Amino acid sequence: MYIDPREYEYHSEYERMIKAYPPEQRYLLAIMQDIQKEFHYLPRLALKIISQHIGVPFSKVYAIASFYKAFSLVPKGRVVFRVCDGTACHIKNSETLIDQLHKQLGIGPGETSADGEYSLETVNCLGACALAPVMVVNGKVYGKVGPSSIEKIIKEYGGCCHGQAGK
Amino acid sequence: MFITINNRQIEVQTGETILQVCRRENIFIPTFCYHEAFGGQGACRMCMVEVKENGRNKNRLVAACTYPVTATIEVFTESDRVQQVRRTLVMLLKRRAAQDPYIEELAHKYEAPLLPKLKVDPQGCILCRLCILACEKMGKSAIWTVLRGIDKRIATPYDEETDECMGCKACAEICPTQAITFLEDGEKRSIWNKTFTLVSCERCGKPYATREQLEYMREQTGYETAQICEPCRKKTLASQVEKYQN
Repeated sequence: MYIDPREYEYHSEYERMIKAYPPEQRYLLAIMQDIQKEFHYLPRLALKIISQHIGVPFSKVYAIASFYKAFSLVPKGRVVFRVCDGTACHIKNSETLIDQLHKQLGIGPGETSADGEYSLETVNCLGACALAPVMVVNGKVYGKVGPSSIEKIIKEYGGCCHGQAGK
Repeated sequence: MFITINNRQIEVQTGETILQVCRRENIFIPTFCYHEAFGGQGACRMCMVEVKENGRNKNRLVAACTYPVTATIEVFTESDRVQQVRRTLVMLLKRRAAQDPYIEELAHKYEAPLLPKLKVDPQGCILCRLCILACEKMGKSAIWTVLRGIDKRIATPYDEETDECMGCKACAEICPTQAITFLEDGEKRSIWNKTFTLVSCERCGKPYATREQLEYMREQTGYETAQICEPCRKKTLASQVEKYQN
């Protein structure tokens, strides 16, 4: 299996986080959540170490990692924009929101900018329909996001220098 | 203990599943995900039967492969409700594996209606998970389900070749719909994105296993065995027995 050489730089870091848990199957999800939180994705090397540590076949670890939406198998940006595109938000023009982000950051839904700074994701519902349209940036919720407030939010995270917006 | 299946009295052991009893008594129950080696999984739901339990006024529909008999019950394997369920199941399965002769046969038997064509070409896999179990039993676990919902499929991690797979094709052999594809040309076998060199039998010269498989066997048993295929091994054993007779 191919492992990105850059992942080896974090080898000891993965190991420290994974071995903080006893080698038991029931800690699988907890370990993966820790790794996801720290690195914003599940590196191949980390999954390999998890599989060896808790004694679960690698294919099964991968199966679980690919099952949950909360885990990502590809690197995510430092700032993750999660825009709700559920029914309520959709009616409240979440699409314009996504379009605007696309223009400002130069990335479409599910993509990550080349410099590893930003990721854009759509979510089917965040469960906060009263705040539609809703957006979550790195865990912080922004409700009733309009075209003007979106620029402010992007600036808050040091954006506005990608894509069409230019430098 | 006695239970009634289709109005016939049958003696059973406590803990036996309805499917086990029916297989023993030669009562027809169609299955896809069941294999004697692994027991019931309750995945394909083809073995649904109607059960009348004591103290319940309504009959239950249960999967025969995972229902252990613990009390006197009445079972119906071909009632209207059962047929209706199987009709729906076959109709849906036929969408996934249209070419399978057994599904075709069942579709005919239960008069399953034909669904319109899908945009995506079905790959023939009905997600019965037998291949996963077979690979796990071999001690390798090279494949598992990936993703979920309508995207769920059987694959190796990242759809790449794995260190685990030894090309034994136990997965392809157990597959009820022949959905696992492999290529073989007498020298090489390609399966799960990996190519293996085949080893030929010393007696008959037919290729019978991969190098990795034999290596794994040596590791597991600690024995260096002659490279002989299954039929030739049996022949050798039989001739040895013959020698003792004379």
